Amino acid sequence: MIKLKIDNVPVEVEKGTTLLEAARQAQINIPTLCFEDDLSVYGGCRLCVVEVNEREQLMPSCAIEAEDGMEVKTHSPRVRDVRQTLFELIIASHDISCELNCLTCTRQASCELRNVAEDIGINRMRLSPIYRGLDKDLSSYSVVREPNKCITCDRCIRKCEEVQGIGIFANSARGPETTVTTFQDKGMGNVECTNCGQCIISCPTGALHEVYHMDGVWDALYNEDKHVIVQTAPAVRVAIAEPFGAEPGTVATGQMVAALRRLGFDGVFDTNFTADLTIMEEGTEVVERVKNNENLPVLTSCSPGWIKFIEHFYPEHLKNLSTAKSPQQMFGALAKTYYAETMGVDPEDLVVVSIMPCTAKKFESKRQEMAGDVDYVLTTREAAMMIKAAGINICDLEPEEYDNLMGVSTGAGDIFAASGGVMEAALRSAYYLITGEELEDIDIQPVRGLDGLKKAEVPINEELTLKVGVAHGLSNAKRMMEMIAGGEEFHFVEFMACPGGCIGGGGQPISAELSSAETLKRRMDGVYSIDSSKKLRRSHENPMVQKLYEEFLGKPGSHKAHKLLHTKYTPRGLS
Amino acid sequence: MVKERKFLKGPRLRDVSTYDFPGLKKAFSLGPDQIIQQISDARLLGRGGAGFPTGTKWDLALQQQGERKYMICNADEGEPGTFKDRYLLEERPLKVLEGLIIGAYAVGASHGFIYIRGEYTEPIKILRTILEEAREEGVLGEDIFGSGFDFDVKLVRGAGAYVCGDETSLINSIEGKRGISRIKPPYPIQKGLYDQPTVVNNVESLACAAEIINQGAGEFAALGTDNSRGTKLISVSGDINIPEVFEVEFGSCTLNEIIEELGGGVRRGKEPKFVIPGGLSTAALLPDELNCSYSYEGIESAGSSLGSGAIIVVGESRDLVDILLKVSRFYMDETCGTCFPCREGNKQINYMLSQHRNKKFTSQEVELIEDIGEAIAAAARCGLGQTSLSLINSIFAKFSEELIEEVIQVD
Repeated sequence: MIKLKIDNVPVEVEKGTTLLEAARQAQINIPTLCFEDDLSVYGGCRLCVVEVNEREQLMPSCAIEAEDGMEVKTHSPRVRDVRQTLFELIIASHDISCELNCLTCTRQASCELRNVAEDIGINRMRLSPIYRGLDKDLSSYSVVREPNKCITCDRCIRKCEEVQGIGIFANSARGPETTVTTFQDKGMGNVECTNCGQCIISCPTGALHEVYHMDGVWDALYNEDKHVIVQTAPAVRVAIAEPFGAEPGTVATGQMVAALRRLGFDGVFDTNFTADLTIMEEGTEVVERVKNNENLPVLTSCSPGWIKFIEHFYPEHLKNLSTAKSPQQMFGALAKTYYAETMGVDPEDLVVVSIMPCTAKKFESKRQEMAGDVDYVLTTREAAMMIKAAGINICDLEPEEYDNLMGVSTGAGDIFAASGGVMEAALRSAYYLITGEELEDIDIQPVRGLDGLKKAEVPINEELTLKVGVAHGLSNAKRMMEMIAGGEEFHFVEFMACPGGCIGGGGQPISAELSSAETLKRRMDGVYSIDSSKKLRRSHENPMVQKLYEEFLGKPGSHKAHKLLHTKYTPRGLS
Repeated sequence: MVKERKFLKGPRLRDVSTYDFPGLKKAFSLGPDQIIQQISDARLLGRGGAGFPTGTKWDLALQQQGERKYMICNADEGEPGTFKDRYLLEERPLKVLEGLIIGAYAVGASHGFIYIRGEYTEPIKILRTILEEAREEGVLGEDIFGSGFDFDVKLVRGAGAYVCGDETSLINSIEGKRGISRIKPPYPIQKGLYDQPTVVNNVESLACAAEIINQGAGEFAALGTDNSRGTKLISVSGDINIPEVFEVEFGSCTLNEIIEELGGGVRRGKEPKFVIPGGLSTAALLPDELNCSYSYEGIESAGSSLGSGAIIVVGESRDLVDILLKVSRFYMDETCGTCFPCREGNKQINYMLSQHRNKKFTSQEVELIEDIGEAIAAAARCGLGQTSLSLINSIFAKFSEELIEEVIQVD
């Protein structure tokens, strides 16, 4: 153990602990901007500088390891003064102007700069911003970049490269002109961006945000000729109360339904319904393909970030993907047919809105293979903004139930929200589909949790033990694909683009207080608590899914089901 | 009368086939430990500007374990006003190469690089030829002079960034990455080029090392003062009658004597307005501060530093604001843009200075410039940033009457 003193407090830490971590262990908060847990150390913002052994040169605490006998001052007069000046410089580079003011910023309520200002106790601002006049990047269906707000902390660069294993961003130009951009300035829509939106979560200043669909949704809601329905993804309910002050993981399903009804939606439905349906279609496909030993392993297809990833980087494996559409797109396809027929609504007048924890879903809804089924995709953040803008505090509402037709789901649909959930849900039903009997213990622990790669073997009958794998976060997806390419055998593998699965999606609320790991853990606990509280926990038990097959689709994998609920993929390769 | 003391200077030395490499041959007979001992005994300080003891650097590198080690000659001479490495590269390049091979042998490096400033077209040509000839003559390659030591050198041309003179940025540049500094620690000695132990030495340091081994540590250590041993190549320029590279023994003369006697005095005038004693990153000295002894400690006691040995004389007729603007423009253009204080600070300072043509500065403005300077000096990531405001701040401090509005006290 290393013994040192931080602000005169004796601290004992493991060898290799940085001064920043050591200070945190001693309950001393040192402000940072370019630092992020799980990313490599950049040492650019210098806000975390501290005095070490009274040396003249201040040291970046994020990068310096604790040593025996060090005397560290984290808030000495000199450090505080330097920090204030640094902050003045940062704000001047952030370009606060009439056009780019805090009030319209995507991060108005969760601005890291503002938090840091508070942490530093900033009481002066003597510099005028120097306008950089850079163009917005509007090339993507999912993510907008506003480079004038960028302070070049490079967290997006590191997130994309280190956590997602892609690296669409890089620095270009030099000195004060240094910017973050995409390859050859092509724009996010024209490079190998998977639209996962993890960069948004990492951006401290709101220079990255989703492509807003809020205006379109407001217009539809105000248009009396339109019949507007909404679906809510599994991961939204455990996060949507956060912007209203609730803890991550707070389950707010019923309150969310009530809020959406107050907003004026004509039908409030659950993507979990089509998650159950996905299990029926994908589960049937897996059983068939395993039986015929055809294009194994089957790879899941519900994460649109993962889909774009495999289309770019492993196009030779597209045949392994399940052909089942994602729950969002199954919902859209059924809404414009089954729902419209049943309700007697002209599909032309029907507007389908999704609320998703995801920015890639915006891109997915625009894919030529299925464009028009879902009209607008709101992120969890956008939905919360709309609810607030309607004067509603979600936490104050009495819970209400989803509308019936496409609003009933089992616990299997709920757990789609977390990494391993699709796999667990599929196994619960695959067992039934193969053996005709119910799986006894349906809590399949090995596929749960935040390990990047998970594997399990599930005995089905005497001939068959299903070998399954789970990967979340695209750098783990890459590792999994390399394992598969290297000959490791699987029957079925689940992939989620975002760390933790959809609960950690790029469209989820951004927590300023909690670490991302803690936020994920709490949301994950919320998800599994919903599942375990439900009577029906297997997708094939869903009475409304059964009714859908009886009245409309026939049986899983039928011709009609294929036409509506399955899709093709586009080999994209590298640009 | 001050005279040059020629320890490094000498007749042109560029023909590999006729040069005997006496230092290198002696080095092979001494072995690594003895070489490092000699360099340490000579108390050679790095000549690039930072003044780190070369013997210590080599000793630390020798002790490092790695798949392979690298030895790099930093010939990216970019400090404004500095052109003494150019002299060595053009006139005495074999001494530099000799020092590089000696260093590599001492620390156990198998691969060498000379990273040279891209605009140095003449030295580049010369070095290309020399490296080819050295391979032909067996001075580079396998089993050099039958010593069993294998070593080869690659010449890498810089792309024009001043910051690549910083050793970690230089290493990034060789690797084909952006020329930006790395966080230290780890130091290049521990984890440098391609993450292997790497020694980066200035051109003049290597030439010194070759001469120390050749002529003996005693010879070198007998020159100079206690804290500044040997001689120094100085680049004298600016408003001076004889701009030139001179070699002086530390402590043998004052700055004033260098300007008056070696440099032939200030051009078109008696006294300079001020003198920059060690390159653009060092504080200005006024005429009455020039009677300091020319040594690391002498110039420090006068309130500046010796830096790279670039003495820039600024004549009386020069416009201070114009100089401030040019200096700040240089740093704004040359900051690598990685750390916020250096990137934003130098931009803001240039902006503030550019708003003040033909006007005096208010004391609030000067305070702001000082605060930014303090933040950059204390918190920037590399030497470029840390010293970028030394000159500007010293000019404000020393010419306050000329630059700053008088504050009228109202009772």
